[in-house]
Amino acid sequence: MLPRMRFATLAAILWSCTLLAGSPEQQMNVNTRYTVESVEVAGDNQAISNGLRSELTRLVGEKLNPAALDDLATRIRRELHVRAVTHHLLRGQTPEHVRVVFDVRGRPAKFEASVPKLVYRTQGGFSGLLTGTATVGWQALTLGVVSDGDDLAERYSGIVARYEDKRLASERVSFRLDFASYHEQWNGATVTALQHQSTENDIPGIYRSRDDIEPLVTFALMRGAPGSVNLTLGTSFERFQPEFPAARPESANAMVTTLRYHRRLEGSGANQQQWDAGYSLRAATNLLGSDFAYARHQGDVQYVYSWGHSQILDALTAGAIIGRAPLFERFMLGNSTLLRGWNRFDLDPLGGDRMVHNSVEYRYRLFDIFYDSGAIWDQGQAAVLRHAAGVGIRQNGLYAALAFPIKEGHIEPIFMVGMNY
Amino acid sequence: MAQAKRGIKTVLAISRRHWLLASVAIPLSCVGAAERLDLTWDGDDLHVAAPQLHFLTGKPLDRLKDGAAVVFLTQLTLTTDNFTTVLRRKPERFVFSYDLWEEKFSVTKLGEGQRTASHLSAAAAEAWCFDNLSISTSDLPQDRPFWLRFEIRAAEPKDEAAVIGDSGLNLTRLIEIFSRRPRDQQPEWTAQAGPLRLGDLKRLVGRARTL
Repeated sequence: MLPRMRFATLAAILWSCTLLAGSPEQQMNVNTRYTVESVEVAGDNQAISNGLRSELTRLVGEKLNPAALDDLATRIRRELHVRAVTHHLLRGQTPEHVRVVFDVRGRPAKFEASVPKLVYRTQGGFSGLLTGTATVGWQALTLGVVSDGDDLAERYSGIVARYEDKRLASERVSFRLDFASYHEQWNGATVTALQHQSTENDIPGIYRSRDDIEPLVTFALMRGAPGSVNLTLGTSFERFQPEFPAARPESANAMVTTLRYHRRLEGSGANQQQWDAGYSLRAATNLLGSDFAYARHQGDVQYVYSWGHSQILDALTAGAIIGRAPLFERFMLGNSTLLRGWNRFDLDPLGGDRMVHNSVEYRYRLFDIFYDSGAIWDQGQAAVLRHAAGVGIRQNGLYAALAFPIKEGHIEPIFMVGMNY
Repeated sequence: MAQAKRGIKTVLAISRRHWLLASVAIPLSCVGAAERLDLTWDGDDLHVAAPQLHFLTGKPLDRLKDGAAVVFLTQLTLTTDNFTTVLRRKPERFVFSYDLWEEKFSVTKLGEGQRTASHLSAAAAEAWCFDNLSISTSDLPQDRPFWLRFEIRAAEPKDEAAVIGDSGLNLTRLIEIFSRRPRDQQPEWTAQAGPLRLGDLKRLVGRARTL
């Protein structure tokens, strides 16, 4: 037994020495005496995860370690699903420093099936979107099926398709063409509310089906370390068939503009802050042959602060519609993301043309507690602020939560379970 | 003089077609042809040199200038029957790197008596590599004809970790590597000499004589 233990001890010492000494290449590459000045990933590096990005940043200021570069190249290749990732060194700006450049090569054709949204909600049933995407180089074609009774006053079911060219003329410009064709189902509360609405409101009626075509161009105005700013411009041609078959189809054709900002701030240690903000405008105009003329504004700001296993999140959303817009444009609260715990048909079965909502959330490992507050109303009406609170468990995209409306009288909690929403 | 004149006449008689064939055949015959190998003998070992052979070129050189270390595998093969059977093989491993700031090469010979030279030009680095190659001539009678072949191949990047590991190269692994056809990114150079006899080489102490 004793000789065996001695052998094990000797082996452990040798192994430790090997680790301390580094790889053979590290010892024999004369450039290992230089310090890493910067690390960059050439090509499309948007999909690199935060964790891997932090590890790349961590190399800066350290002595060059070829083995670590090989390891990171392998991980980048796996994350980006590309054919090969190599690295090369360049002289730095400062003497005795080197720049590390990872070169991403080839974007092979691939097919991916995904579930961007799947949620079950008591009083709402299942909602889900299933897509398959075929990617060849920078171009992608997505086909999917959807049935969603969570976002809008209606449940819309049908097919979605998207063609996307992620590199139109340059890496900073991308193009996409979205197509959707839905069949609608309406809640009795909405139909009743429409029948009994006051003449002042004049909310357009329900429809049986809806088709949408949206050509959009996105410009990456800013990318990289300080943050990213993307501007999307395009048009939306929405055509829907009113409930009565004899009625002529109506259209809501709009100019679409979206501006989004994203910034991540690395703090000391594991602290990290993240800002996301966006503003979108859909302006339907007669110039595009629209039967409706309105402007729908929506803005959102989200702040996330992470430290250790904890994360605190605040998300503010607000919107307003100027003009007479069809039902699918109206804002709703009381779904799986906004004012959770409330039934949206109890709040307003027709939605509102004004909306404001704030959500505060604290997450620790799997656990999640949240407090939502928001109001939905129509122009000229008084806004009533409502609150909800809940607890949940979140792991690897799966989420289950129990939310309670904060109100007087009988309280009926809402249970939600799903993924990727 | 008359012979010379006849020779000139003969050359002048070569048709255009023959010139064309020759212009194609001569370069083709050079492709894959082994470089000449210069030998020196110190009484125990044969030492080699091939001043015309430059292996710090092409993709391996590009990789070096990109800051990577490149492993070169060499093999000396001694035979007494024009490479029908092998009398002895001697594999070696060299790790080259290129200093990005000093623009000089560094070479390390792996294995027993590992040694390194640095601040070398490309030609000096290649010469240092040859200076550190030798093969024993024990059991080789001085009057027996022999042939010697030198091969050098840049290891593929994915194989580098394996070939520079502490376990090194065993004969089986080496034969396997050199018996594989080199891939596009794995250039290979060869040089050879023979038939020669040790007895024809002046036996010197140290390395002094070049054939």
